[in-house]
Amino acid sequence: MAAEPQLQDEFKARLDAGLWGRVFRRALRLKSLLIPLFVTAVMVAVCDAGFALTTRWVIDGVVARGAGAPFASYIAVYCGLTLTLCSCIWVFIDLAGKISNRMAHDIRRDCFDRLQDLEFAFFDTRPVGWLITRLTSDCDRLSRVIAWGFLDITWGLSYVTMIAATLLIMNWRLGLIVVGIVPPLAAVSKYFQRKMLLSSREIRKFNSQITAGFNEAIQGVRTTKTLTREFENLGEFAQLSGRMFDASVLNARQNAVYYPLVMTLGSLAAGLALWRGGHLTSVGAMSIGTLVAFINFAGQFFYPINQLALRLTEMQGAQAAGERVMGLLATEPAIRDSEAVLERVRAFGRPAGPTPPAAGLAPDGLPDAIGAIEFRNVTFRYASGPPVLSGFNLCVGAGETIALVGASGGGKSTIISLVCRFYEPTGGQILFDGTDYRERPLGWLQSRLGIVLQTPHLFRGTVRENIRYGRLDATDAEIEAAARLVNADGFISRMDHGYESQVGEGGNRLSTGQRQLISFARALLANPRIFIMDEATSSIDTEAEQLIQSGLESIFRGRTSFVVAHRLSTIRRADRILVVGHGRIEESGTHEELLKRGGRYHSLYTSQFRREQEDAALAKRPE
Amino acid sequence: MYSQARIIWSIMRGHRMRYGMALACLVVATVINFGGPLVGSAAIDHAVASPPAGAATPRLVAIALRALGGASNLRARLWLAPVAMVVLSVAGGLFSYLKGWQASLASDGIARRLKEQLYDHLNHLPAGYHDAADTGDLVQRCTSDVETARQFLATQVMEIGNAGILACAAFPLLLALDAPMALVSFALILPIVAYGYFYFRKVQHVFKGVDEAEGALTAVIQENLAGIRVVRAFARQDFERAKFAGPNAAYRDRSVRMLRLMSWYWSISDLVALSQLGLVLLVGANRVAQGRLSVGVLFAFLAYLGIMLWPVRQMGRILTDLGKTSVALNRIREILAVAREDDPPSGDTAPPARLTGAIEVRNLKFHHAGMPAGSSGALDGISFSVAPGETLAILGPSGSGKSTLIHLLLRLYDPSGGAIELDGRGLSTLPRKWVRSQIGVVMQEPFLFSKSLRDNLRLGRGDAPDHEIENAARAAGIHETILGFDQGYDTLVGERGITLSGGQRQRMAIARAVLKHPPLLVLDDAMSAIDGETEVLILDALKERRGRATTLVIAHRLSTLARADRVIVLDRGRIIQSGTHAELAGRPGLYRRLWEIQTRIETDLGRDLAG
Repeated sequence: MAAEPQLQDEFKARLDAGLWGRVFRRALRLKSLLIPLFVTAVMVAVCDAGFALTTRWVIDGVVARGAGAPFASYIAVYCGLTLTLCSCIWVFIDLAGKISNRMAHDIRRDCFDRLQDLEFAFFDTRPVGWLITRLTSDCDRLSRVIAWGFLDITWGLSYVTMIAATLLIMNWRLGLIVVGIVPPLAAVSKYFQRKMLLSSREIRKFNSQITAGFNEAIQGVRTTKTLTREFENLGEFAQLSGRMFDASVLNARQNAVYYPLVMTLGSLAAGLALWRGGHLTSVGAMSIGTLVAFINFAGQFFYPINQLALRLTEMQGAQAAGERVMGLLATEPAIRDSEAVLERVRAFGRPAGPTPPAAGLAPDGLPDAIGAIEFRNVTFRYASGPPVLSGFNLCVGAGETIALVGASGGGKSTIISLVCRFYEPTGGQILFDGTDYRERPLGWLQSRLGIVLQTPHLFRGTVRENIRYGRLDATDAEIEAAARLVNADGFISRMDHGYESQVGEGGNRLSTGQRQLISFARALLANPRIFIMDEATSSIDTEAEQLIQSGLESIFRGRTSFVVAHRLSTIRRADRILVVGHGRIEESGTHEELLKRGGRYHSLYTSQFRREQEDAALAKRPE
Repeated sequence: MYSQARIIWSIMRGHRMRYGMALACLVVATVINFGGPLVGSAAIDHAVASPPAGAATPRLVAIALRALGGASNLRARLWLAPVAMVVLSVAGGLFSYLKGWQASLASDGIARRLKEQLYDHLNHLPAGYHDAADTGDLVQRCTSDVETARQFLATQVMEIGNAGILACAAFPLLLALDAPMALVSFALILPIVAYGYFYFRKVQHVFKGVDEAEGALTAVIQENLAGIRVVRAFARQDFERAKFAGPNAAYRDRSVRMLRLMSWYWSISDLVALSQLGLVLLVGANRVAQGRLSVGVLFAFLAYLGIMLWPVRQMGRILTDLGKTSVALNRIREILAVAREDDPPSGDTAPPARLTGAIEVRNLKFHHAGMPAGSSGALDGISFSVAPGETLAILGPSGSGKSTLIHLLLRLYDPSGGAIELDGRGLSTLPRKWVRSQIGVVMQEPFLFSKSLRDNLRLGRGDAPDHEIENAARAAGIHETILGFDQGYDTLVGERGITLSGGQRQRMAIARAVLKHPPLLVLDDAMSAIDGETEVLILDALKERRGRATTLVIAHRLSTLARADRVIVLDRGRIIQSGTHAELAGRPGLYRRLWEIQTRIETDLGRDLAG
């Protein structure tokens, strides 16, 4: 398991120009929105500065001309500025919203796209929850930071420049004094924004621990009661909530110091303007309107600088999210068609769709049929683990049913995953009719498989939609025929809406046995060349098991099948049983042959037999 | 709104003083912050320029001027003005800091107390409550609802206080400064608040729509990733891409729509706020032109509006949130209102330090609330007794009431009829926690906490030294497994650590119960995931260790049943057979059928080999 990343690590000391360059290049795809956003942000800054200048103009006017001042012009200019500013605000919120959401949409689509093609080994090391966070909050955050950051940085820089320029033009000596407030203001803002970001992360961290604590308390409540741990648990929880309290108060205090501090800096600047400017005004070297404008402007620096500091800090904070998302986009699938295969598919002139024409040819122009399957001296290991298979050899004839039995971790499921090319051998070859399967199109091979896994996974939707997943162009009649063949028809038609009944999230409105029956129908509908069952009957009740058993005959017929199983009824059906352990075949033969031998299979068989019989005795009520 | 305010008031109990302090600091800070513009005003009018002859100097400005030593002094020492402004700003900032600090202590304190209350309460609610409750919903109430309340208490209560102070303190101050200008300054304040309130009330469904779209999108991603093996197994990548495109676009479009609404909100709200500023500027300028107002006082009014407008613009939104907060608080109070497990009235004779382990069950009846008497897990009048040190095995089909019996013994539920006695004392007269402290129980699906393995074992007995922990682990056949992990006994379990298999969890729970060394040991189908050989080893080790502990064991396997002193067979909440292994094996029934499986294996094998 990955250790919890340190907060400080997430917070890189400097902005990574390369990363943000890459992200920004993506944003540039929305140039038609980005350029107007830039223009609007600058316009807003100009309007903001315009208000202070208007105030100056109005005050100077009324002081000099009294009732003769041009009030109509004042009203017109003020209204004009107000309407322009409000329109610009409308436009920039709308534009930034569009940019951020379109970017998030596109990045998310590309990530999703990439995930569909990445190999299983990629998913082995990354929990689903982790990946979901990448596709949801990380994508949103990255796009938000880019869009609003771009807006605020443009606005902030323009505004600071506008204020500074206006001040310097009005009176460059006094202007210099007031602009001198900018560097300390920027330093204080940057320092506090960073502090507050760190402490708010700390709060989030404790908060998720508290959530986990509640979860555990509720799920483990009976254990807590029976161990009479109520008091101790509360003590542990109180420590956690105490840490959260401390972090929250710290964050609040940072906030409470920061704002008064920058406001004081603003007062200092305004005070300096009043002092020096007041002298100039009293001797008539500066108008009183200019003095008021100076005091106003001096207090205005805080807003753009605070916003700049905030956005830059956010970018620093979002850097880790950015790296994860951009890293995902840059990950190339390790298992994919080679150039030679792609070339052959192109040359054959047909798209590599799931259903090639019935001419008996696969998209690469080679025969569509799959006959003999051979493992030749196959070695395999997961990532950096020890070898699971080494020097493994196996020949399976067309139409043969192979049962794989043996202790867990012995390599049974690995053999199956290799057949499906979910993983590729790290050494040796797997040959389909004498051709290394890496020389055939991946999409073609996988569309020729029918797989039933230990834990049946259904998708939200109706029963019919779930069965149709096996073959998208299947008719309703074909779907129902497949369901009948695996004996799923009975319970489906008893459901409220029959085939149109909703199965719920992950199929949770159905029992495991019912889900498994549907997944059998789904696999059968695909009319696969190779049929694979991975512990498909180990997690279901006896009743569903019996239904499946009687349907298996029709599934195995005419197909090469690989079956990993515990249940004896399934195993006995196989043409050949392989006892797999320690990455090799320990025993091989038919049920009778292996029993006679009295070896591993014999002992596996007897213990499994006892277990099944005991379960059966308890399932029936005693007379 | 009155009842909402009352709920919030009651939740503040114990922290009202802090809120009072915070509000007092806020009042002081507000008054001090109002001093700055006054100083500016005095300086502009009396030191920089001279006030118009027609306008009387407002009393407040006069006071400020006096404080600065009078007009001529200020004219000679203009630096006094900026110094006074900075001093006022620092003083105001100090109180504003104190306000923030006190408000945070209060609101985070309330949130902390609520969380701890909820946590403790959940641990003390009856098992029946937890059976019916939905974990996700409970967690949500304990976390996000508390957070909603906290945010409200932290920022919004103070903002409302701020608004009140502006209305009660700022408005009179401004009136004293210049009455017509004060009226103009407040002209659009109420419309701004009302606009925010009604706007956010109206667009709440759009926010909800965005949340729902995000939920739908997350669900599609979650389903795709959880089922990625199925996707590959049928090579359905393109189908999944198409399925994802809809929700992804819907989320984008709804978010864009929400932002569009926000752009309306903020641009109009800015329009009103700027109109308010413009009104003050132009009306003020007009009065200056007529000689009825000085430039300095106009400057002060413009500065005050700058201070006031921002919080006022947030008010509407805050009032909208009031509804959300009271909903959250009600959801929290619903949990706290459920009665805890009760205990016998105190005054009973104190229970003995340790049970001897005699159990007497008489005509025990139970059915779950709302379920008929004959339903699954019900008990329909069972009686038996167990002598100290005896091992009683319980056998029966699922739903026959085996686990219910154990739950009643642990006082997780109370029987609907009959009685259980421990050492001759009625169970209902004994405190629940004491009863549970006397029983070591291992459930079929044991729960481990996300702590280290060592700490999980130590839950059995907090003061157990390491070597006793290891001995218990050895007895439960888990010691070697633990040493096989990278960090041995310090390996973490759960989300941030390793996942144990069902059998490993059962062995951990057995070790935990063994370490507790209780006078009564209960194994509720506790070895179902442990292989037969290991089971026998554990049983022998338990027998050696437990000495005279009375043991109840629910089991299906003959190896376990045969080791018991006595076996009872339950069906539909009744005892249908009881006796020793030898007696039951000789009588027809469930027990004998299990016993016969062994012989059936031999015949079945023979048949397979012959056929």
